[in-house]
Amino acid sequence: MIEINGLTKNFNNLCAVDNVDLEITNEIFGLLGPNGAGKSTTVMMLTTLLKPSSGSARVCGYDVVKDAKKVRQSISYVPQDMAVDIKLTGRENVMLYAKLYGVPDRNTRVDDVLELLGLTGRAGDLVRTYSGGMRRRLELAQALVHEPKVLFLDEPTLGLDVAARKKIWEHISALRKRGMTIFMTTHYMEEADEYCDRVAIIDQGTIVALDSPENLKLGLGNDASLNDVFLENVKTGEDQTGFDAYKFRTMLRRR
Amino acid sequence: MKQIFYYFERDMRKWTRSRINVVSSLVMPAAWLILVGLTLPIRFTDNYLEFLTPSILVMTMLFSSLQGGALMIFDKVLGFLNKFLAMPSPRESILLGKILFISTRGLLQATVILLIAALLGVRIHSPFNIVLIYLTLFLFGVLFSALATTLALHISDHDGYAAVNSMISMPLFFASNALMPYDQMPEWLRMLAMVNPLSHTIDSIRELFMGGVPVEGIVGLAVAAGVMVCVGTVQFRRTGV
Repeated sequence: MIEINGLTKNFNNLCAVDNVDLEITNEIFGLLGPNGAGKSTTVMMLTTLLKPSSGSARVCGYDVVKDAKKVRQSISYVPQDMAVDIKLTGRENVMLYAKLYGVPDRNTRVDDVLELLGLTGRAGDLVRTYSGGMRRRLELAQALVHEPKVLFLDEPTLGLDVAARKKIWEHISALRKRGMTIFMTTHYMEEADEYCDRVAIIDQGTIVALDSPENLKLGLGNDASLNDVFLENVKTGEDQTGFDAYKFRTMLRRR
Repeated sequence: MKQIFYYFERDMRKWTRSRINVVSSLVMPAAWLILVGLTLPIRFTDNYLEFLTPSILVMTMLFSSLQGGALMIFDKVLGFLNKFLAMPSPRESILLGKILFISTRGLLQATVILLIAALLGVRIHSPFNIVLIYLTLFLFGVLFSALATTLALHISDHDGYAAVNSMISMPLFFASNALMPYDQMPEWLRMLAMVNPLSHTIDSIRELFMGGVPVEGIVGLAVAAGVMVCVGTVQFRRTGV
């Protein structure tokens, strides 16, 4: 579903993603790494929001630069910001996406995705009154309204409580069973361990480990957790990411 | 390009659901008209309100258009823009939807001013000229909302945008013929006012109030608005890939 060959992104002197090769099939694929490792930059190149400096990537067989429009038709992207309109109702938020994607028979389709994510009862309420977990589910409903083949999720459970996180993961697993490919980033190793078919660990723009969580843990010994695998592979300390994270985030939004 | 309307619809719903926004955008121009138009001890005309009404109409469009750039800033900072850019709909429809909303909102405010002015005794003689006043204000709104939205694409936060906005709007307003005619200005101000697009628009609206039809003024404005929309479209297409 996703083929990445020598993908590289430089921002002035900073090499955010350095010659990454990956092949993702029909699975839940987790991209793990410390802050500033290049996770978001990778996702943004795959979702046609950033142009690679060199290398190439294909999503559903379409090149992310040359066939950007076809890529956009086949995917959905949920960034970590929780961008839903709080002055609109849940239904209006999803309807906007159905209209923008040109979904046929959109009234039924919108009802279906709201039902799928358990939001039917509150669909007529302003999103202002929704909890964090409900807002995230609403974003998933928006993302699913045009039945994408690949779903990109940037830290989907960030800042949610345990129950909300569990619920989000149940939905993601259900989507996987229905044949969707899911490419996600996360900081929560236990979640990646439990739900991802395969994970890659990225550090300073380079893939340093790639396998199923089970195999990665086995490689370290019997009682190893995915946390141990992470700490073993990641050489960048938390205090030496070496760049201005705020400035970088702003830049990614601005372009 | 149905998407333009969908983006327009989104902003319009959000705006009308915030009552304080609606009220505030109507109070400011009304205050100008009444507190300035009826009170300043002016000697060059005995009907300052008639002189000032076109200025307040254009000023309202200007401030409301430039302020509209903040919508783009919020969409960007809060992450909406990235979600919209990852969709297959043409990227310039985001810009055009904003322009349509901001200009429409400006025209709603202008309607309130026209009504208040009419109550205070200002008259327009031909219905055709009322239509042309709306057209002129709309073109002016398109010009400045396209400018504001495109600027906002390149500015990283709201504080920065507010600073740019006040840097443009106030000098542009006071260095125009909004408050006094050219012959009452000091020489240096007159030079500035003559090249200010705001003055030309105010001149056109004043002529429309008098019953004339400023063909050159309207065509000039249409060309400027067209060019600005093209510049904005190119900028939006260039974002990302």
